[in-house]
Amino acid sequence: MSQISSCAQFLELVSEMKRLAIFGIGLICLVDFSSCGTTSFAPPPVTPELARMGKSQRGDIAILREGRALFVHRCIECHTLPAFWRYSVEDWPDIVNSMSHRANLKPAEREAIVAYILAVRAQQ
Amino acid sequence: MEPGILRGGFSTANAIRRLPFPIFILLLSILPTIPALGGVRHFTFLYEANTSAQGSLELENWVTWRRATGPARFDQVDFRHELEYGVTDTFQASIYLADWFYEHDRERSGSAYSDSAIELIYNLTNPVVDPVGLSIYGELRVGNRLIELESKLIAQKNFGPLILAYNATLESVWEGNDLAEREGEFSQAVGVSYEISPRISVGLELLHEFVFPEWQDEEKIRNLFVGPNVSYRRGNWFVTMTALAQATDTEDEPDFQLRTIFGIGL
Repeated sequence: MSQISSCAQFLELVSEMKRLAIFGIGLICLVDFSSCGTTSFAPPPVTPELARMGKSQRGDIAILREGRALFVHRCIECHTLPAFWRYSVEDWPDIVNSMSHRANLKPAEREAIVAYILAVRAQQ
Repeated sequence: MEPGILRGGFSTANAIRRLPFPIFILLLSILPTIPALGGVRHFTFLYEANTSAQGSLELENWVTWRRATGPARFDQVDFRHELEYGVTDTFQASIYLADWFYEHDRERSGSAYSDSAIELIYNLTNPVVDPVGLSIYGELRVGNRLIELESKLIAQKNFGPLILAYNATLESVWEGNDLAEREGEFSQAVGVSYEISPRISVGLELLHEFVFPEWQDEEKIRNLFVGPNVSYRRGNWFVTMTALAQATDTEDEPDFQLRTIFGIGL
């Protein structure tokens, strides 16, 4: 009898946890999916077209890829990613430079981020 | 389980010893000032999926004030001093140098060392470019007649200036003489944070706990806490604060909690 009672309690608990987990994950998915059709907040991937734009600025495709990877990983450690248009082409290098020490960026990594940002900025 | 928290049925009276210079330790924890930040926290009761940059080292100091009113009235202040290091860009290791607390209730008041711990976080996916950013978390805590294991799944998604985070946590505690007293806890936490400016974020945190004394659910202990948070960062430091109120009516748990995390790059 007590085993049946423990089993019922366990199932009740699992059901309660499941409801909460579905609520939490559902909330994330809801916002995630609703944003798909409207605005993409992810920085654009490195395409050949972007690389061509980058060449006219500062980098080749490998550097731009590294720049994007660093941009989406290192910068979000302190703040969310700003829109590219928010700052001018002239301002971006100084902005990245001012935060590079905090983000533990080596000079080449800093240059890669700047190259990627400027390539996207030029494409816009 | 949070450091030094009063748990129903487990007496902390024997563990309490007056520390000679608690205030000195508190002051010491605020003093260092050198560069390279591990990562800013937008929440204090939730973890975020992104990990510290490779090679970065950060000192974090936690202060949590808990207050319970009613028959089980008490005030407790928990302190934590944590060193956080980015092993790789996706793997971070931390040491809790010391968790200690000061408590005051009708019968006693004093401070005591609680435990020390190691914490590892591995990042699987990125919250900006992947559909959901995921990390897994493991922690081992050892103290005076205390061993605790904690594992966590961390989910996060960034939508421009908005951050959504979710944590599912499972804890196992062994404590008391011969570590004979056992307790389990499952908790879920949801948080949202909005970046008003590159330096300031505001948001909301919700914490839901399921406590299992002796791994039994006969008492049906459920605790729900909810409240706002604010985060400010500048240079190589940040401070984040959350105030939580209990939405349930559990006597042994605090009615109000205020947690502040102050982090500084080393």
